[in-house]
Amino acid sequence: MIAILLGLPALGALVLGLVPLPSRSARIVGTAFAAATFVVAVVVAARFDYGAGARMQDVVDDRWLPAVGVRFHLGVDGISLPLVLLTALLVVLCAATVADRLMMSVVLLLEVGMLGTFVALDLVLFFVFFEVVLIPMYVLIAVWGGPRRRPAATKFILFTLLGSGLMLVGFLVMYGATGTFDMTALARAHGRGVTAGTQLLAGTLMMVGFGVKSPMWPLHTWLPDAHTEAPTVGSVLLAGVLLKMGTYGFVRIVVPDLPSAAHDLAPALGCLAVAGILWACLACLALARGEHADLKRLIAFSSVGHMGFVLLGIATLTSVGIQGALIGNVAHGVITGLLFFLVGGVKDRFHTSDVTDLGGGLLAKLPALGGLLLVASIASLGLPGLAGFWGEMLALLGSYSPAAGLSRPLFVTLTGLAAAGTVLTAVYFLAMLRRVDFGVVTDRWRGERITDAAAVDLVAWTPLVVLAVGIGVWPGLVLRVSESAVRGLLG
Amino acid sequence: MTHAAWLLPALPALAAVLGLFAGTRVAGGPAVPALAGTGVAFVVSLLLLGAVEGSPATVHESAVAWTPIGGQTLHVGTRVDGLVAVVAVMVCVVALLVQVYSTAYMAGDPRYSVYAAEVSLFTAAMLLVVVASNLFELLVGWELMGLCSYLLVGHYWQTEGARAAAVKAFVTTRFGDAAFLIGIFVVGGHAGSFEIGDVVRSPGSHGAVLTAGAVLLLGGVIGKSAQFPLHVWLPDAMAGPTPISALIHAATMVAAGIFVVARLYPVFLAAPVALTVLGIIACITMLGAALVALAEDDLKRVLAWSTVSQLAYMAAGLAVRGWTAGIYHLLTHAAFKALLFLAAGSVLRTVGTNLMSEMGGLRRAMPVTFVTALVGAAALAGLPPFAGAFSKDGILDAAHERGGALGTAVYAVGLATVLVTAAYVTRMVVRTFLGDYRGNAQTRLHESPLVMTAPLVLLATAAVGLGLPVLPDGWGVARWLDAPLGTTELHVAAGGVALSTGLVLLAGAAVYALWRRNPAADPVAVLGRARRPLAAAFGVDAFYDRAIVRPLHALARGVLRVDDGGLDAAVEGSGATASGLGGGLRRLQNGNVQAYASGLVIAVLALVIGVSLAVAR
Amino acid sequence: MSLTQSIDYAAISPPLVVVVTAVVVLLADLFVPPSLRRLLAPLALTGSLGALGVTAWLATGGTRSTFCLAGGGCSYVADDFATYFQIVVLAALVVVLLLSFPLFDERERVPSGEFLALLLMSVSGMLVVAAGRDLLTLLIGLEVVSLPAFVLVGLRRGDPRGVEAALKFFIFSVVSTALTVYGIALAYGATGSIELHHIARALTTLHAGSGAMSATAAAGVVLVLVGFGFKVAAVPFHFWAPDTYQGAPVPVAAFLSVASKAAGFAGLIVLLTVAFRPYADVWGPAVGVLAAVSMTVGNLVALRQRHVVRLLAWSTVAHAGYLLMPLAVASGHLRDGVRATLAYLGIYAAMNLGAFGCVVLVRRTRPRLAVDDLRGLVSRAPATAVAFAFFLTALAGLPPGVAGLFAKVVVLRAAVDGHVTWLAVVAAVNTVIGLAYYLRLAAVMFLPADAAEPADVRDGTRDWPVAAGVAVAAAVTVVLSVYPQPLLHLADLAAF
Repeated sequence: MIAILLGLPALGALVLGLVPLPSRSARIVGTAFAAATFVVAVVVAARFDYGAGARMQDVVDDRWLPAVGVRFHLGVDGISLPLVLLTALLVVLCAATVADRLMMSVVLLLEVGMLGTFVALDLVLFFVFFEVVLIPMYVLIAVWGGPRRRPAATKFILFTLLGSGLMLVGFLVMYGATGTFDMTALARAHGRGVTAGTQLLAGTLMMVGFGVKSPMWPLHTWLPDAHTEAPTVGSVLLAGVLLKMGTYGFVRIVVPDLPSAAHDLAPALGCLAVAGILWACLACLALARGEHADLKRLIAFSSVGHMGFVLLGIATLTSVGIQGALIGNVAHGVITGLLFFLVGGVKDRFHTSDVTDLGGGLLAKLPALGGLLLVASIASLGLPGLAGFWGEMLALLGSYSPAAGLSRPLFVTLTGLAAAGTVLTAVYFLAMLRRVDFGVVTDRWRGERITDAAAVDLVAWTPLVVLAVGIGVWPGLVLRVSESAVRGLLG
Repeated sequence: MTHAAWLLPALPALAAVLGLFAGTRVAGGPAVPALAGTGVAFVVSLLLLGAVEGSPATVHESAVAWTPIGGQTLHVGTRVDGLVAVVAVMVCVVALLVQVYSTAYMAGDPRYSVYAAEVSLFTAAMLLVVVASNLFELLVGWELMGLCSYLLVGHYWQTEGARAAAVKAFVTTRFGDAAFLIGIFVVGGHAGSFEIGDVVRSPGSHGAVLTAGAVLLLGGVIGKSAQFPLHVWLPDAMAGPTPISALIHAATMVAAGIFVVARLYPVFLAAPVALTVLGIIACITMLGAALVALAEDDLKRVLAWSTVSQLAYMAAGLAVRGWTAGIYHLLTHAAFKALLFLAAGSVLRTVGTNLMSEMGGLRRAMPVTFVTALVGAAALAGLPPFAGAFSKDGILDAAHERGGALGTAVYAVGLATVLVTAAYVTRMVVRTFLGDYRGNAQTRLHESPLVMTAPLVLLATAAVGLGLPVLPDGWGVARWLDAPLGTTELHVAAGGVALSTGLVLLAGAAVYALWRRNPAADPVAVLGRARRPLAAAFGVDAFYDRAIVRPLHALARGVLRVDDGGLDAAVEGSGATASGLGGGLRRLQNGNVQAYASGLVIAVLALVIGVSLAVAR
Repeated sequence: MSLTQSIDYAAISPPLVVVVTAVVVLLADLFVPPSLRRLLAPLALTGSLGALGVTAWLATGGTRSTFCLAGGGCSYVADDFATYFQIVVLAALVVVLLLSFPLFDERERVPSGEFLALLLMSVSGMLVVAAGRDLLTLLIGLEVVSLPAFVLVGLRRGDPRGVEAALKFFIFSVVSTALTVYGIALAYGATGSIELHHIARALTTLHAGSGAMSATAAAGVVLVLVGFGFKVAAVPFHFWAPDTYQGAPVPVAAFLSVASKAAGFAGLIVLLTVAFRPYADVWGPAVGVLAAVSMTVGNLVALRQRHVVRLLAWSTVAHAGYLLMPLAVASGHLRDGVRATLAYLGIYAAMNLGAFGCVVLVRRTRPRLAVDDLRGLVSRAPATAVAFAFFLTALAGLPPGVAGLFAKVVVLRAAVDGHVTWLAVVAAVNTVIGLAYYLRLAAVMFLPADAAEPADVRDGTRDWPVAAGVAVAAAVTVVLSVYPQPLLHLADLAAF
């Protein structure tokens, strides 16, 4: 099943890449492939035995490169399943908006890497898929991006490669110590037989790799540029999925495989996470109030803050915190994905996403778009009852009572600071809304005839709104799936 | 019956959804779903009240598993007892009346359907807070209220004032809510569960942890209930439509803070320090807000400040263990303050301004509004037999009984506030309804339509009727409210009533006399220079702006500059260094063979000598 | 020492076939009418394919040794190690021959007969080096590799840059060979033997006790290392490479960067891991330093190159670093290290030849070969552009060029397992610098072409052989990207 999950988009990318279809039919074909992939993902979810979320299911495990001890080993469990579904869904929604044949091909290629990263159970295979996304995303930004796209794209790929290169060395150090790349075996071993020193070395190298991707302050500086320049589809997938690959790596590899390293690094990770939260909030505040700030840049920075909560949850090394991290991942993917779709919609209509140029009164000019922007922003600022809340809440709850052996005073302090972050998040989002959504339409736009969200847009956006509300009202949807798996991670 | 309690939040929520998506399409317009939803909820609440009558102490709980978090499972459900039933009825009544009133007040507003839906959603949120059986479930309602208040206060978002007020209201309360959330962690962690039942069952040792938790919870309480130092948002929130002020800023959201303290009272009893903190805050707020109300010219802001001050009474009541008195005042206040707001609305809609300096003499044109407002004013000032008198005196009595530093302080400040309250109430009435009209001569003064006056009358009746329970051989509050152990029963001493009545009459007479001397002038003018600090609300806002807002924004700009200039430059710098290095190395590659050869030889010699030495030693 | 030797011709058949082909080509060049000269290249191609076939057959059989001394130990051993290198070299030769076809039209003024003969001669030397198991055989082999190479570089008639490049190449070759010879002399002086296993045994005893003799041996080891450092163009013995590559005809540059480098590594590995193993603690760190410096300097300088061939030249310098890295491991893990280097070499050969092949294709229309000349290549020659980009991602070690990624994984793994993690980290950082310029080069091809596009200067000659060569390289690289197991397995067998 999982082989098909990866095969379909790969095939689609190949077909679209080679067959010179007219863009219209390319859109249909590409969307069909994406939709089929999503269906497969749903089937996987349907066949999933939720009673045994901790067990790897739908496993594929074939010999591949015995010479280097690498196996073709795939599978899903309660941790990866939600991310797989999220990825497949987001790609469908993106594909529906892509008109260019090659862009469609690139997006499908991207999907292969993203899904592969979440289902890979062999460190080298994981690394390969982790790298597969780089070139497509680079191309997305560098070819279809904004005016300063080239440097932004280059910065993105070099940053990420630096991280993943060191991460690979970390993997190899693990291999040197354990003699296996098998992630399930490593997780079962819980670092037994690996000295604390080796674990710390491997853990630090991986922390840099996953940290760049997540992104973890201060390794985040590639993100705002990449997001600002990327086309809407790129931004959505970047925020919606690529960032998760970093935090997923922490949860899937560092926490279970290197317990002692995770333990040693947790305080640092927690501090960097909270630093990121506050840093991002302040940057967003300045953007929301400053002149000529790009909405996409603002949302990009807000991602740094939200992922900070995810990292904080992981740093607590408690099942509460890590569950918070996982639902936080999903929620951020849904909500920020929606936000980027909406800003993209704004940019398509006004040909600018600059708060100053937009002026105000979006809600008056385009009620549907403005209303959705309002909803998405409220969800993003973590209002209880919407998806964003649970990730932040559980991260805070986890860090209020961190794992045994971690400094309680430190983490309680972090809880307080992060809580302050939630307030600041509200401050800048409301500042943004006050400026863009509310208020009166400026003379520049009053005359213009601008059409509100069309049916097709609403079709693409509604699922995300529904998810944001649904997961918010009934978090069990996600948390039940990951519960036992997370407890398994912590041994 | 009590198992149907979930209908209370569910029905208005449904109404909100219908109103938002189909509001304009249903026959009779968006008002229909709104009224229907709230109306049915009102019936349910009455049935609930009937169900708990006589045995208010019994708890009817029904919950289902919600989600696993870490080891434990959160449940979502309803937890009904006397307090819940009573407050639920109060909420439904006010909400229903406000919806009715709005049909006329908001007539012709282009966004009425959204407005009606938001009010319904708000009602649902408040009712969720009331019936919630789990702290996080409660928090959901709690924050949802904040959101609705943000949207409703900002309803006139084309005006700068409304936008600013909306943000201020949300952010200020959310600041408190951050503390509230952590408070939930602490208290829940202490009880080992986040179900309200478990939390209140046995708070256990009077530990420092529990105290910390209770104090943190107070953070949220003072935010929502607009207590010092987080009171600043409420007066500005008057930028919203008047009916929602009657709902949100008189009867429900601001009361939610008090309700939560009452709901979790055993926790606070186990953490006396928290109660003391609450008492001190209440004293400051009570008198301070009343004084500010005295100098305020904007009619709605006067009411806002008075709300702040009255909420402080309730808080003080709870602080001195006058649990029943506090709740009782919450109910009566809901009645008479909603009444006053709606009356104010009726006035504003006629004269088209909030400023009392442009009103006066409205009693002739608006008899119903005048009479009902008079009832509300009397109740607010605390004149028997109007309800406010007994509930307030109940609190003062409880403070007297509590004794000690705190009790005495609350009692003294409470009495002082009675004086001031009477003064600003009198001033408000005379400036608005008595004397001659000072406003624009063109405006045609007229009474408001029935749909607006009817709610006034009903609320006025309530403002009187709610006094009955404590009258000699009245029905007795105890049939619906069961005070937790360790609290003082509601008890109104004739002496106390006499004293405060005397004070009220004294202050009222004084202000009236002042006004008679020159009906055109503002009685408060006699304060002279002392009026300025009051009018400036003691400069709290200005202080926050200087101490928090501006530094924060400066810091934010700094961060952004560093992120662009510092971190990023460092990164890109490393790139530049790399290629610079490349350039340097490339210069070595200058095509000159001798240079190459010598370079090679030097390298080799270095290697050879180095290695040989290494081995030889 | 008896001088009567029975020669196992099967064992030496690969160089034999190549040499014979070379001679045939020379004679044919003298006697056939000019009109038939264009058949020389196919002839050489056939010969080298034959050699390739022979070697493949040899590889399937067991180890064969010849030129053995009574005292045990043989000068020429056709074991898996030798055949692995011979196959790589011969495969490279085939591709290079295909790439060379365009050189033989009038405009290039390259005499086909000499060119092909010299190329084959040089290859025969490489095949000997791969199988040589004593110092002299290796030395002779190396000389046979180098001497024809000088001429190849400067063969283009009336091309001053070519001559200068050849001169530079010559001077450095001489210097380094001198150093090698001196080193071998020292080693011989210290051990009294030229046969590798004897040397190993002698050195073991020497190394136990320190002192003058031991130091002499160490110096010898280092000097030999230097000689091969030049062959593989490792920093700081790389100075010749960029100028030579740029001055030489592109196919020759490809030849030097792959075949010649492979031969260098064959000799280096044999000497280090067989003869000088006891001194691993001496040369190990030295190799580590060479590796780190080579990859870093190579990548950094490549960042600033504006000429495609120079850029690739510097990239080969960097790859010499990656290839050296696994040899720097602790002596306990030498075999894994060798295995990794061999695997990397195989993949490197495919992707690097592919890249140079694309340069040959581009050069037909853009003789200047400045990086910016590649603008808009995708619209002019989409296949070439896509293939080139693919080879570049492979060199960078990124998907879709997964083969390169595997190569990196293999060498990094050897380094980490061999406890030189610091080197692995250096390499990881270097991949980033590498990507920076590979990506720039790849991106340029996909930019819209300039408005003032120079008119294509391509003439009638069909360059389908070049295309074929590139296709072969591409096919191999793609296969290695999906399923490198066979190569990794062969490398495993070949490693000592």
